[in-house]
Amino acid sequence: MIEFRHVSFAYPGQSEDRLQDLNLTISDGECVLFCGRSGCGKTTVTRLVNGLIPHFFAGELTGDVIVDERYIAKLPMYQIAEKVGSVFQNPRTQFFNVDTDSEIAFGIENEGVPPDELRLKVDGAVKDLKLQKLQGRRIFSLSGGEKQKIAFASVYAMNPDIYLLDEPSSNLDVDAIEDLRKNLIRIKRQGKTILVAEHRLYYLKDLVDRIVYMEQGKVRGIYTPEQFLSIPAVQREKMGLRAMDLHSVKPLPKPAVQALPVLDIRAMALYYKKQPVISGINLRAARGEIIGVTGHNGTGKSTFLRALCGLHKGCTGACLWDGKGMDSKQRLKSSYMVMQDVNYQLFAESVEKECCFGIKNPDADIVTGTMKELGLYEYRNRHPNTLSGGQKQRTAVAVSMICRKEILIFDEPTSGLDFDGMLQVSRLLSRIARGGKIIFVVTHDYEFISAVCSRVVHFDSGTVQEDFAVNQKNLGKLQDFFILGQRRDDIEGAETGQKNYTEIGRKYAYEAKREESNWSSAQMGGKG
Amino acid sequence: MRKLHFDPRTKLLLMIFTILSATLSPSLYYASGLVLLIMLFGFACGKPRYSLLGALTYTVFFALTILTRDFLYGTLQTMLIAFLGLVHKVYPCGLMAGIMIGSTKVSEFMTGMHRLHVPRKIVIPLAVMLRYLPVIREDWGFIKDAMQMRDVSPSLGGLLAHPGKTAECVYVPLMMSASKAADELSIASVTRGIENPEPRTCLIQIRFGAADALAACAFLLYFIAGMAVRGGWI
Repeated sequence: MIEFRHVSFAYPGQSEDRLQDLNLTISDGECVLFCGRSGCGKTTVTRLVNGLIPHFFAGELTGDVIVDERYIAKLPMYQIAEKVGSVFQNPRTQFFNVDTDSEIAFGIENEGVPPDELRLKVDGAVKDLKLQKLQGRRIFSLSGGEKQKIAFASVYAMNPDIYLLDEPSSNLDVDAIEDLRKNLIRIKRQGKTILVAEHRLYYLKDLVDRIVYMEQGKVRGIYTPEQFLSIPAVQREKMGLRAMDLHSVKPLPKPAVQALPVLDIRAMALYYKKQPVISGINLRAARGEIIGVTGHNGTGKSTFLRALCGLHKGCTGACLWDGKGMDSKQRLKSSYMVMQDVNYQLFAESVEKECCFGIKNPDADIVTGTMKELGLYEYRNRHPNTLSGGQKQRTAVAVSMICRKEILIFDEPTSGLDFDGMLQVSRLLSRIARGGKIIFVVTHDYEFISAVCSRVVHFDSGTVQEDFAVNQKNLGKLQDFFILGQRRDDIEGAETGQKNYTEIGRKYAYEAKREESNWSSAQMGGKG
Repeated sequence: MRKLHFDPRTKLLLMIFTILSATLSPSLYYASGLVLLIMLFGFACGKPRYSLLGALTYTVFFALTILTRDFLYGTLQTMLIAFLGLVHKVYPCGLMAGIMIGSTKVSEFMTGMHRLHVPRKIVIPLAVMLRYLPVIREDWGFIKDAMQMRDVSPSLGGLLAHPGKTAECVYVPLMMSASKAADELSIASVTRGIENPEPRTCLIQIRFGAADALAACAFLLYFIAGMAVRGGWI
């Protein structure tokens, strides 16, 4: 049993949205979802239970958090770890070993489990969670979803009574989320207590017993799944929440793009270390289009986009702009990728300098104009690192506009974002598209695609499998890909058939798909 | 070649021998012999590519030293000899450290250190550091892409042409990601009980074997031989 008794907490220097007077009792075997806008305090709640507050994050803490009659604040971290297992958002920095077996054993090694039992427990976890394929692999060669599975297995091997998951799905693709859901079903059947802090709600629909909605550090409502599902969409969006039932989300009508295609890709094929990754890509795109790029990780969609940017060498076929051929250097000049972790692409000490960075004789009017247009003007003297995730993203976009890039590529711009955040990104993309750019956006976010994409290009089995407009007519296709959780409910064995990874694609997933990091975790310290 | 498995403690011992041999090295040929020995050890550890490349790079430095010694004179020679002298002292240690880090698993390292009764306060930060190194390599991939999109060349040529700008492009994002990654790695480890004071166990059994004895003897003998030359006994 977990009890929160009048718990209040503030991080050092935090004045707004501090956690206030939390009173809650969670009984054994319950699955509780904490949701709300970014910074509402849901992550803080999980940290109170796994002891990171107060043992790792100091701050003003009052009240008591009691797990099975023991006070968390008075237990050392390693004793809490035996009771409470935690899985986090960023798979990249969640593992401590370089090979999968050692990683699964990491927690139980720390507990000092005798060596002969270690092997048994690791094998048990591998068997239960169906990880045979991942055994004995180098962790760096795994995809984000696979890393997350190993992190989960490591906690599973420790067999804690309570599982804590802090935005576990943020960096996962559809399949990996489905696997996560299956793992959660398994531990729930074992009678474990599960606490999840999440933005994405749909995969938890049939799992949760209670939903705690938080706002500005306070609990605003506690719902059963039935009550929660009956909240009207308008109300839910006002609460800043993602949909719990994706079936109810329908694509918004998009303005028709009248322009003729300017970008023409013909018979493009891509190689990685002389091995074919994808081939037979034929694609035409007009100014103002927002094209969603979907597909499982490892199907080569990121390779394609890196090639489109001129970053990937080893590419055959033609790429034409207005009828003229573009080699990789010209493509590098005319395109720009906004990375999932924007921090990698911000170099200067202020937003304004960032906008001029690397440009000879920048035009001051254009710089100012662009900053004003993107709502960055008032932050022009701030260091990019002090900005919020969304502002950083807009700074990167500003750079691309000032450099007169024609093709913009976004790599999972909405991972880990709440409804408001997603809406802001949608508006940003629509605005750039209206400015006559061509936008490609890699995403696993069905709600985002419905809100903003005019067209979807779906990669599978090493080529463009489908290319269709996002409208009511093609709704079935979209939902088939994105809502498999509900569709394939409890069909055992279906999980392996769905994947189309090739071994090379898998290897490539690590090199090219640099997807696992996420800017929203950059705000860890400040985030509630 | 089948790869041998060495105990992390043996590797630490070999590292100490390497440092001693390199600092007290009596001659240039002795230092190159040491590099050769380390290369062989690298092969045995299953790091042939890295070891060979390391040894080849050393050969270049070796040739440079010979050329400097025999064909240059004056201030330039003095300067270069001073610099190269340092290279010959540091290079073998660097090569050895690379093989050590590359072939030791974090959990092995921690268990080994624990057996040596090194306090956790020292071991844990070291383990986090060991684990952080590959993260930098991953980061470099992203940063390279980001630089190219901003028309900054992520190459040696770019560094020489625009040293300030290129350096900024590398260290700013690297710093940002480093502080974040270090925090997240620490969190991932403390929530899985890394601070547990009880004796730690390890999936991979670490114990001294014949290979350890052989390697330790080889490095010890080489060190003694160096001392002997230095002392004028040979």
